[in-house]
Amino acid sequence: MTIPATWEPLTAADPVLTIAQDLFSTMIDGEPGHLYPWMGENPPLEDPRYAWVDVSGPVVTRVMLMAGRATGEQLTRALLQMDDSEAVSDADFADAVGEIANVVGGNVKSLVTNPGALTLPVVTHEEPDMSKAFCLLETYFGWKGAPLGVGLWALAS
Amino acid sequence: MKALVIDDSRVMRRIVSNILVEVGFETIEAENGRVALDQLESHGDVSLCCIDWNMPVMTGFEFVVETRKHPEWRNVTLMMITTEGEQDQIVRALAAGAHEYVIKPFTPEVIVDKLQFLGLVDVKESV
Amino acid sequence: MTLTAETFDFVATLVRQRSAIQLERGKEYLVESRLAPLARSAGAADVDAYVRGMRADITKHDIVVEALTTNETSWFRDLNPFTALRSTVIPDLQGKGRHQLRIWSAACSTGQEAYSIAMIIADNFPSVRANIVATDLAEQVLAKGRSGRYTQLEINRGLPAPMLVKHFERQGPTFEISSALRSQVVFRKHNLLDNPPAGGPFDIVFLRNVLIYFDVATKRDVLRRIRNSLAPGGYLFLGAAETTIGVDETWERLQLGASSVYRPREGKAT
Repeated sequence: MTIPATWEPLTAADPVLTIAQDLFSTMIDGEPGHLYPWMGENPPLEDPRYAWVDVSGPVVTRVMLMAGRATGEQLTRALLQMDDSEAVSDADFADAVGEIANVVGGNVKSLVTNPGALTLPVVTHEEPDMSKAFCLLETYFGWKGAPLGVGLWALAS
Repeated sequence: MKALVIDDSRVMRRIVSNILVEVGFETIEAENGRVALDQLESHGDVSLCCIDWNMPVMTGFEFVVETRKHPEWRNVTLMMITTEGEQDQIVRALAAGAHEYVIKPFTPEVIVDKLQFLGLVDVKESV
Repeated sequence: MTLTAETFDFVATLVRQRSAIQLERGKEYLVESRLAPLARSAGAADVDAYVRGMRADITKHDIVVEALTTNETSWFRDLNPFTALRSTVIPDLQGKGRHQLRIWSAACSTGQEAYSIAMIIADNFPSVRANIVATDLAEQVLAKGRSGRYTQLEINRGLPAPMLVKHFERQGPTFEISSALRSQVVFRKHNLLDNPPAGGPFDIVFLRNVLIYFDVATKRDVLRRIRNSLAPGGYLFLGAAETTIGVDETWERLQLGASSVYRPREGKAT
């Protein structure tokens, strides 16, 4: 399956890195420098969680954020400005991580020509079935040492 | 002055609300466009709405279109705050009656700059 | 988190040599905050460690100087001067028969100020032609200004959405200003301690948030050069916290709304 033409600009990792760095520096860390490309092999995620938005169009494209539960909790705490000691509820977790997927997905969508509508974010514990999907891009970042992944998938219609 | 923060994400509502409170607003919240319309109706003294686009039940765009049909809400400032960043989307929103448009992600200064330009907040000069 | 004197002195010396900007004692916070992101990206423990690591590497010196000398930029920064431009200054110049305005945006950085001026004129004074010269020391920021291309984060800062859709077009991850406006601004490398750039004499000069970095003698020198570059009836805009008062008495200050503007006093030109 060939990469849909409108999504080609995205297969360079740099735009996604910039999107992620802009988001983290403005809204999560309050300053730049804490999110960087992951060096080396794709890292394993401990107790992985998945959050995605889909972009409709001739081919539906999924923008998916992947992170370990603990990392997701740290992200939630950062966004909600909670203390390290405060427990993170499932609802808060889904809200925060879903919003990160929403912002990354929305910005990715803005890079391509003639994109469709953006769905509302979905956050799950189980990895969604991507067996019939074609991976356009899978890239990992480090955030204060913890791994985070962003994947772009073209879903079979 | 009262502001209505409309976003389906509690995280985003809190972030925007904190920024507005810092510059002197009292804030109320709504998780979608329909709830927001109810809030506008029942509060009557809202001067600013910060509106996400993609929400269940009624989107932010639909909320803008609906609000602009009401003469009694003519003076309410409508600011979109959304990840929708394509040129066409911005043009559509402004044409439908939104006054301002912020693309996520944003810093507090982004929102405050725009509120200053709209005259809703006093200008505080930079050094 | 306080800088060592050694680090501060090295950075201050480097910056003074490259840019004439004086970082006096008391400005340690500025060095700390501007270099902290660079230190983090480089994986250094702190700014002191970062500076220790890059001192001997000449290729890194530019980055440090730029980090210290780049102003925080936004569109229509502080708003009030642009209001004064629109309500009073340009109508005044128009009234005097000036329909081609020569404008100098000094220490222009990446060009937001120059293009903001161009937008005010395009939107409010269609019969006025603007020739804007934008100058700065660093080639990198000039190149960016020339490209007229800005990131989403940059475009978010201070640019009203109606102006965004009117004057810019999104090109992938960046927004590009219209060729009509881009053609009105010329970006040139220029040191404020040199003779004024070509394009004058100027009807309007913007010199905002630069003088604060200079000592009094340098301020006087720069202001004298600016005065000599102004056309009769010309205006000077300084930063909100800056003034000529107590520095150079050959200027008079006018209050225009919430903004101050400066003009040479009659009969005091040297």
